[in-house]
Amino acid sequence: MKAKYANFAKKATALVLVGAVLTGSVFARPKKAKNVKIGVLVSDVSGEEALGFRAYYEKYIASAYNVTFKYTEQLTNAEEEKSAIEKFAAQGCKAIISLSSSDRVTQLQTCSDYKLYYAIASGMLEDDQYEQYKNNPYFVGQIGPSMETEFQAGLEMGRYFAAKGVKSVSIYGAFIPNPMHVYRTAGVLIGLGATYGGTNDKNAVVGQLFGDSRVNVAKISSPKVAIKSYFQGFGETTTDELNAAIQAKPDAFLSVGMATTFFTSQLNAAGIEFSDIDSFTSGNGKAMKDGKLVYLAGKYSSSIGPIFAAVINAVNGNSIRDKGNAISLSQNYLVAKNYADFDKFYTSDSGSSPIFDKSKLDSVIGSNVSYEAFKSLVENN
Amino acid sequence: MNMNFYKRVLGTVVIPLVFLLVLLFICQINGRVMIANQVSFTNFVIYAAIIMITTIALSINLNSGRFDFSLGSIAVLSSVISSKISYALLGQSAASAFIMFILSMVIGGLLGFISGRLYNFLRIPPIITSLGVTLIYEGITYTITSGKYLMAEVQTASMSAFISNWVNIAVIVLVVLAVIIYIFNLSKFGAEYRALKNGQKVAVNTGIKEVPNAIWCYVICGILMGIVGFLNAGRNMTINGGALNFGSISIMFTAFLPMFIGGFIGRYSNEYIGYLLAGICMSLLNSTFAVFANEITASMQSIINALLLVVFLIYLNNEGKIVNLFTFRWLRRN
Amino acid sequence: MENQNKKKIGKYRIQEIMLTLMPGIALLVLFLMFCIAVISKEYMLSLYLKIIFNEGVVLALVATGAVFIYTLGSFDISLGASTLLSATLGVMTYNTTENLALMIIVIFATGIGCSLLSSLLASVFNIPVFVTTVAMMSVLSAISAQLITSNGGALGGISIPATLLKGLDNPPFKIVVLALWFAICLFVFNFTKVGRKQKFLGGNPVCAQLTGISVNKYAIIAFVMAGIGVALGAFLTIVYTPSVTTGTAGSIGMNILVAIVFGGMPISGGPRSKIYSSLVGGFSYILLTNFLKIVIDGNAGYGISQIISAVFFLLVVYIASMNYRTKMLPR
Repeated sequence: MKAKYANFAKKATALVLVGAVLTGSVFARPKKAKNVKIGVLVSDVSGEEALGFRAYYEKYIASAYNVTFKYTEQLTNAEEEKSAIEKFAAQGCKAIISLSSSDRVTQLQTCSDYKLYYAIASGMLEDDQYEQYKNNPYFVGQIGPSMETEFQAGLEMGRYFAAKGVKSVSIYGAFIPNPMHVYRTAGVLIGLGATYGGTNDKNAVVGQLFGDSRVNVAKISSPKVAIKSYFQGFGETTTDELNAAIQAKPDAFLSVGMATTFFTSQLNAAGIEFSDIDSFTSGNGKAMKDGKLVYLAGKYSSSIGPIFAAVINAVNGNSIRDKGNAISLSQNYLVAKNYADFDKFYTSDSGSSPIFDKSKLDSVIGSNVSYEAFKSLVENN
Repeated sequence: MNMNFYKRVLGTVVIPLVFLLVLLFICQINGRVMIANQVSFTNFVIYAAIIMITTIALSINLNSGRFDFSLGSIAVLSSVISSKISYALLGQSAASAFIMFILSMVIGGLLGFISGRLYNFLRIPPIITSLGVTLIYEGITYTITSGKYLMAEVQTASMSAFISNWVNIAVIVLVVLAVIIYIFNLSKFGAEYRALKNGQKVAVNTGIKEVPNAIWCYVICGILMGIVGFLNAGRNMTINGGALNFGSISIMFTAFLPMFIGGFIGRYSNEYIGYLLAGICMSLLNSTFAVFANEITASMQSIINALLLVVFLIYLNNEGKIVNLFTFRWLRRN
Repeated sequence: MENQNKKKIGKYRIQEIMLTLMPGIALLVLFLMFCIAVISKEYMLSLYLKIIFNEGVVLALVATGAVFIYTLGSFDISLGASTLLSATLGVMTYNTTENLALMIIVIFATGIGCSLLSSLLASVFNIPVFVTTVAMMSVLSAISAQLITSNGGALGGISIPATLLKGLDNPPFKIVVLALWFAICLFVFNFTKVGRKQKFLGGNPVCAQLTGISVNKYAIIAFVMAGIGVALGAFLTIVYTPSVTTGTAGSIGMNILVAIVFGGMPISGGPRSKIYSSLVGGFSYILLTNFLKIVIDGNAGYGISQIISAVFFLLVVYIASMNYRTKMLPR
């Protein structure tokens, strides 16, 4: 019994010592010089676009400006988003940049409560939500593809393939209820010359897609281009659905997102031309150069530079407002239809010399920056 | 031939036959084809293999009262490590897929061994050990991959060639089946395993060494999940390295229904053949879901799978009462 | 000889007490470590403690009710999905009727109803409880996802007006809810025959049944208690954030298992079950994960912090179960 008691005491002591060492390691860290801390909310930690954004902020912006970016882990619901913002507030962050969209309104309200500036990068609030909150002094703004931009991206993709003369396509995506994907899919269908439920009006098609919670192939009428198959690709049936799409032998495989992550090798092997809305990564470059990727709509990794500029201005007391309202600017996608285009976009936005580099951002950071100048920077690059 | 033989054959094939006929009928009346081409058939074989092997791995420990949540995390981690090693050493070489397969089994076995040793060392209920092991293995996977999808390591010509040949998969299935039947039905190890399963105290008191038996069970489960990890990687052509906080346990739940089906079939023939047939049933169902994917959403597929599990269990646990009801024995007694 | 025996018994009792206190000691150690980490990083301790409480309170509420199920030697992993469905139906009810009382009634009815359904399936059809809850988890998650996506549309989720319950989103209210619920459960578990009989059933079901204790009756009571915990958790989830998405309450199901065990609850249930294990274990787990996230920075840190928290979890459980080692491997 004595031995057992001693054993227990040893183990308990070990437990406390481990805790003390771990805690002590915190004391051992050298104190960093004070700078502006900005919290970044993310829902995607592994996608190429998300990694590109992170690299731009952490490697370029953080070294060029006196800021520290603190990233969350993958956020999957509104409670985690709110909790993350509260933690950032406790850690002394001055602002939040959001790349997570479970509940942006709650994010904004939480930031307001804790007097943190809030901005949305690479996305937007719903129109009525923006109207409700645009006067909030802590809402810096939103810069990203609007739903109209998403629709246009899909529309141009559909038109491209229709003009190319394809007779049949398979479609992938529209992860209901992700609005971004739904608007893109609506654009693709209309761009191909199809109607959905008898209409080719954008709002009507979008409304039906949300209501159906899927793309109902039976409701598609497409006189010029046959829609051979459609799939969303959730769960265990993805492989079979992809196979069915490939076996239908479409002239092209149109994806509104993530196909280049999951299906590149299969589509290359099947010899089917495909498109995607993704980002300019080395993997996609290879698929375009040596594979069958023929159309890629993407964003620069540094496209989230301007929203950072707006945020740092707000933190420094130089908020840029659009007639007293939060900034709301749409960013378009860049489209590469061949490897030369791709290479141009890819190399022009490289790690050490991004499109939105320090000199461009410095032109809109400061005390006398007008909204028009800011808007011009965003729209002309 | 006596009636007993026919009863055994009937008992063995009735469930797969019912599955096949019902699903074929549903496809037929809707003008669809369940398995339309060679690639569909290969996918069918791969999924059946995944389900069968996962079910065997789950049942080995579960039947001994050892619930193991870590199966999914072993599958993912073994495939991550094996794909990185094989790609680093062999790149796009023709042998890289085969090497990844072998490595996946070895690493899976090692991970299973660690899990088993930890269970023996800690002497806490295995379900709790498995919770900790799951979190540890998921954490290691995340750290290695930085939470990213592995693509280049898996999307090789060698892997495509290996996985697109259904014969390779069928060979894997048959070898696994043969080895498992030998180990658990015909060997001394299997006899000891069954003794421990059915009466732990008595078996230990008769001199059966429980610890080595348990640890070897974990090793075998690890090897099997290494195979599953490889097959999943080949099927999806990516490995998701970002699952944390028990994100990997879902694969285990897909094996419950096949395990009970296999147990039922095992009454008439052999439990492990039952798991193979159950894997085929689930793969038939999956192929049917794929054909109707536009009408049956992922949510509805989950509900259907869950309802099948509940209905089957209701039957299994009330077989006597149901048989009495339908044969009107209760009426005859009165 | 008698003195020696008395000494042995005394030492054993001290060891027993210390092992019983082990989860509480772990909680205290974690709390101190957490506070030191926050202060040394010059973060706001008061706000961080509020965050910890918000993160832990829903888990603690649901886990406290779940203790009754675990005491029977069963376990239920569908509680997270039940919480999601309760919250979903509550929000939908309010959006349809704009009646707060009705929303609360629906939340409670759904929480209790889901748990009762699991229990009835298990007791009426003799299905193993765990397997029933696995099936229920799939069904409830799928139903919730379907409801949310078809009603949420472009927003991706459904929500009630932000101002409706904002006034309740404060620590005093949540502490009162948690304290009341814990007090009720403590009373039922430790001072009524319900708790006593459930412990008996968990410890030795054969003997319990032979003494006339109805398995079904007390299983149903256990699931009802768990359902009430689920409903309270769902309500406080909506109080915290007024929107429900398909990911809401996603991690509760497995975290309850970890939390309860971390708090010193034996997985086999029985007489050694403790009602406070949910509170102690829930907050310990939250403190540990947050402590590690503060200490270990960077993207790769998420994996490393999970590894460390798992090792710590196993260590605490190992030490707490020291007195109950068996010669044979536990099952």
